[in-house]
Amino acid sequence: MASLFSQSWYRVSGLKPRLRGHAQIHRQRFRGAVWYVLQDHQTGRFHRLSPAANLFLCLMDGQRSVQEIWEMVCARGDDDPPTQDETIRLLSLLHGADLLQGAFPPDFAELSERAASTARRTMMARVRNPLALRLPLFDPDRLLEALRPLYQPLFSVTGLVCWLLLVLTGITIATLHWHELIGDAANQMLTAQNLALMMVTYIVVKGLHELGHACATKAWGGEVHEVGAMLLVLIPAPYVEASAAAAFASKWQRMVVSAAGIIVELALAAIAAIVWALAEPGLARAVAFNVMVIGGVSTLLFNGNPLLRFDGYYILADWVEIPNLGARSNRYVFYWLQKHVFGIHDAESPVTAKGERGWLAGYAVASFLYRMMVSLAIAAVIATQFFIFGVALAIVAIAGILVVPLVKGVRFLLLDPKLRGRRRRALTLTGAAAGALLLLVFAMPLPYATIAQGVVWVPDRSELRARVDGVLARVAARPGEAVARGETLLQLEDPVLSARVAVLAAQLEELRQRYDAVRLTDRVQAEILNEQIGSTSQTLDSFRSRTADLTLTAGQEGRFILPEATDLVGRYVHRGDRIGYVLEAEDPVIRVVVPQADIDLVRSRPGPVAVRLADRVEEVRPGAILREVPGAQSEVPSPALTAPGGGPIPIDMSNPQKPRALQSIFIFDVQVAGGIPLDVLGERAYVRFDHGREAIGWRVLRSLRQVFLSQFRV
Amino acid sequence: MSDGAGTLPRLQKQRPLPPARAWAERTVPPEGKLDRALNWAVGIARARLAAFYGLRYRAIAEHAAALAPELAGLSVEALHARLPAVTSALRRSESPPPEALAAAFALVREWSGRLLGQPHYPVQIMGAAALLDGRIAQMATGEGKTLTAALAASTAALAGIPVHVVTVNAYLAERDAETMGPLYRALGLSVGIIREKQELPERAAAYACDITYCTNKDLTFDYLRDRITLGQRASDVRLKLNELLRPSGPEPRLRLRGLHFAIVDEADSVLVDEARTPLIISAEVPSQFAPEMLTRALSVSQSLTQPRDYGIVPGERRILLHPAGLEAIEAATSADGPGWRARVTREELVRQALTALHLFHRDEHYILRDGKVVIVDEYTGRVMPDRAWSDGLHQMIEHKEGCALSAGRSTLARITYQRFFRRYRRLAGMTGTAGGIEAELWAIFRLSVARIPTHRPIRRRHLPDLVFPDTTAKWQHVTARVAALHAGGIPVLIGTRSVAAAEEASGHLGDAGLNHTLLSAAQDKAEAEIVALAGGQGRITVATNMAGRGTDIKLAPGVAERGGLHVIMIERHDARRIDDQLAGRSGRQGEPGCFQAILSLDDPLLDGRPLSRLLGRAVLATLPASLAQPMARRLLRFAQARAERLHARMRRELMNSDQSQERMLAFSGHSE
Repeated sequence: MASLFSQSWYRVSGLKPRLRGHAQIHRQRFRGAVWYVLQDHQTGRFHRLSPAANLFLCLMDGQRSVQEIWEMVCARGDDDPPTQDETIRLLSLLHGADLLQGAFPPDFAELSERAASTARRTMMARVRNPLALRLPLFDPDRLLEALRPLYQPLFSVTGLVCWLLLVLTGITIATLHWHELIGDAANQMLTAQNLALMMVTYIVVKGLHELGHACATKAWGGEVHEVGAMLLVLIPAPYVEASAAAAFASKWQRMVVSAAGIIVELALAAIAAIVWALAEPGLARAVAFNVMVIGGVSTLLFNGNPLLRFDGYYILADWVEIPNLGARSNRYVFYWLQKHVFGIHDAESPVTAKGERGWLAGYAVASFLYRMMVSLAIAAVIATQFFIFGVALAIVAIAGILVVPLVKGVRFLLLDPKLRGRRRRALTLTGAAAGALLLLVFAMPLPYATIAQGVVWVPDRSELRARVDGVLARVAARPGEAVARGETLLQLEDPVLSARVAVLAAQLEELRQRYDAVRLTDRVQAEILNEQIGSTSQTLDSFRSRTADLTLTAGQEGRFILPEATDLVGRYVHRGDRIGYVLEAEDPVIRVVVPQADIDLVRSRPGPVAVRLADRVEEVRPGAILREVPGAQSEVPSPALTAPGGGPIPIDMSNPQKPRALQSIFIFDVQVAGGIPLDVLGERAYVRFDHGREAIGWRVLRSLRQVFLSQFRV
Repeated sequence: MSDGAGTLPRLQKQRPLPPARAWAERTVPPEGKLDRALNWAVGIARARLAAFYGLRYRAIAEHAAALAPELAGLSVEALHARLPAVTSALRRSESPPPEALAAAFALVREWSGRLLGQPHYPVQIMGAAALLDGRIAQMATGEGKTLTAALAASTAALAGIPVHVVTVNAYLAERDAETMGPLYRALGLSVGIIREKQELPERAAAYACDITYCTNKDLTFDYLRDRITLGQRASDVRLKLNELLRPSGPEPRLRLRGLHFAIVDEADSVLVDEARTPLIISAEVPSQFAPEMLTRALSVSQSLTQPRDYGIVPGERRILLHPAGLEAIEAATSADGPGWRARVTREELVRQALTALHLFHRDEHYILRDGKVVIVDEYTGRVMPDRAWSDGLHQMIEHKEGCALSAGRSTLARITYQRFFRRYRRLAGMTGTAGGIEAELWAIFRLSVARIPTHRPIRRRHLPDLVFPDTTAKWQHVTARVAALHAGGIPVLIGTRSVAAAEEASGHLGDAGLNHTLLSAAQDKAEAEIVALAGGQGRITVATNMAGRGTDIKLAPGVAERGGLHVIMIERHDARRIDDQLAGRSGRQGEPGCFQAILSLDDPLLDGRPLSRLLGRAVLATLPASLAQPMARRLLRFAQARAERLHARMRRELMNSDQSQERMLAFSGHSE
């Protein structure tokens, strides 16, 4: 609650200030109320003024004293006159922006101190945000002025209609070729050469994007005086200084300037879609594809997202007519806390118009959550590649989003004079809230489990495989029943084989007889025949043994399982084909692959195990760990568990023969109570190892510890 | 160059050149947060070294003492003849060598012994050396601070530095200047005294003397007036040029010659306790609001009810309007004239009216005299006829009392002691009690405390504090104790926090039939005389802590044998330091004395802490005294420490807000 009078008023009341020439005032409407925007042409900065403040400024002519002006403003009486403190703050703001001219000599010490503090602040901003460095390059205003006839016509209704048509065409084409597009994306997107191409395309597309902002600003009479490059997360990106648009009276014009980049990119994406659809595979098509991805997807996700401080944010702020939405929404949250939690009744609300409240509160919460998520995600992705850098990035991100406000909050709680007399209440409440949060995070037990994937597993020795090619002629044993070791189970037939055996037998007989005939007359011929007899009989033996292999017997005692028993007879099977199983008592089991990161938990906190089969996910079957392979291994038991096979285990792609996991894995065999249906052998299963209940905080700490342990190989 | 000479006004030969330094003042560099933190850290470290700093000056005192026998044998003429050598040795450099200082000290000491009959003790020489070094000399009560200050002041003046000796009231300034006058004259130094109602030429003449005795208030106001005269053109070079170019006229425009060197007596109360008091020079302007508006504001405010429409912020003496109240005001004034249309104005008016009605009471905060509202100082009980509340509050109160409206006042310049004394190029101070504020003195004024040992060991006894559950019990005990002491012929001094408490004490003593003297709202001189007599046999004196400061209580013959002056404190002060000041009233210069605090849990320090009070009472009621008394004592000590911290923080915040305010008002230049 501001008092009308100020103790420092006497310091300013006699001054006769005047606004400097390079300041210009624009009239704008925000949420139904008139505001005045003061534009400083020298620095390109803007200040929003209330009507009373504007009146004050307009009365500053270098002749009237501040006291006279203030009395004049008060005498008007229709609006709320500014209090003396507000007036001083206004003058101070103008002075800080070098917009004030008075009849007093400049104070050089003060000037240099102010310059130093500005330089320090710029420096700190750079240090705090090293990933967005700006390098101004040149002043494009005259160039743009010369090119004006080229783009001016675009900013019209005709231009809008043409643009809409173009974008619609692009969308239609993209929809028609949707599957092809998705396929391209999956195959090409992240290959090395495409990344290089994408980098180049990105810079060009973003350059046109910025050109869009610049042209839009120029089209409605703004000025653009700076073009440069900035490093955004280490990727070079162009930028233009289009803040002159803030002076536009119409919010739609301001919005178009903010949206111009997205408009350009969408148009580019639409053209690219057409090119892509028409072109033959080759460089042109690849470029077109990249332009579509950048101009279509990334623009809408990043530039168009109002929760990030890119174009979308400015569009939203202009649309809802809340300038400086981000900063004010944070201030609003702080104000709300002060007023309703700490009971500071005279806290100053940043709300200046009706309906702002909801926007401010909603935006603060949404953007906080979103920024937190995105920062951590980016940091996590980078951390997998460059660990130290990623961790540093994550620390910077967390510091910016969490720690700095936290430190500020604590300092406010402990030191701020506004809390005098209410500090105990504030501390109690904050302490209680923090305590509740800690309790929730570290003391509230929540269900805790590890989910791993496995396959329904049968040991090799239990499998019944065809040893030779042949047609299955007969099922000797009854499927599903117990069989003894050595018992005949299946009979194959191979007509070619038996014919061959007959031929060979006849040939052998012939050779023997010829041998008998010449044995006594021609020793040389006899020896030759004898050799032939040896070779032929060997061949015959081998064919005979293959004939024996046509009969499949049980390799072990167990239950004979023939999954496709009904339509098996008469089928031609190849050598090595799996036909059935002879299962021992405990088969089959679920063979589960546990990644290294989870192994400690699974081992140290044994609990109930539950299994869901991929086939029947809705059914939960209780299970138990039957055995565990004690050592780590890299061999993946089934291709179904590898990443290319749709499983969770990333494998080494350089060795296509055998799937080897990139990181050590651990194997568990889980027996399912009540057995496993036999038609799912070899199928995927989801296994849940229950670890009881634990609070979330400890889990996070454990996984963090693991990350660091694994990175530093301790 | 020669052709340019024609355009300049000719310098006449008889006109003296301007002084080498037309205006001296330290520019206080703006402090960053880091500077501030560092200053406090250094201050805390230096606080521990106070005793060490004090002992550093022992060598110089011994040196001076060694020179004494030789000087004692000299004739008056020979002493005079020594002066030029001593003076030139002092002036040879910014910081004279210890030998030169010792020689000067010895000479001044010799003159003091011959003219005043009081040659300086070694501890006084040590104190003077600390003062010249720009420190706070912490010397116990009765150690002769006046004499110490005179030694330092005359040495500095001999070195050519203008000295301001700053006292807490005009009586002390005049008394000290007159007592020390012969000494200064013997040394060829001029002494000026700043008195009330002096006009500018007189003041300028007084400040032009080598040594000027003044009160902190007069000094600061004179400085403010000079700053107003100087306006934006306060630089040294500019002043000298003005002096050269000014058409010759003897009329001085300025009072002071800048801020060279100040020796502040009772430094803790001036620099710390009163640090927050802003001194304001204002001019009359037409009242901001018409009488009808004040009438209307009063009537509107009377229609508001306390918890619903407004509240009083506890501890801050401030009215807070609630939303319901704001609506009520808007509704009530909607039909009134254009003056009521602006929200800020009408709310300000009503808030002022509520403040006038509920926070300022007649005969407590102000009295009516000759149909005028006159402010009463809460602590000293003195009336302040030249003061007025600001921002229309004074008019509102006048209107409430039905007086004729005085003109409004608008500020021309304002400054706090905190900001003012920082501007001295060299600052020093004396106090009996600097405990607990050393860090602050360093951080704000760059003053470190040097604890000077006492001339004779202290023989004052501190009896353990007595704590009673309530005031009734306390007064019973106090009157009984006073009666007993009185019967034994021992003089008693009862010290209180405020005038009201002193009057209460007087009432209780009167009821008990004890003949006593009450000191309040009197003039400085009378106060000093009464206090000086408080050491008379069987005398009972009731005084606020502020009364008769700087005056020694001399014991009447025979009193010392009975145990000396007995000081009874009946309320804890806001700071332990002030308790110690009261204790220091007895046992001066190694005389016997006794100090006792007789307190109750109704102590104002516990106001707003009902839980502590209840706890204390419960403890006193249940536990045996041997256990309960220390606990109750500690309770009050805690409350006192809390108050100390609170005040320290408020001073720090004032400093910080002053600085940020200064930064914000940079565009308005340097007005004061």
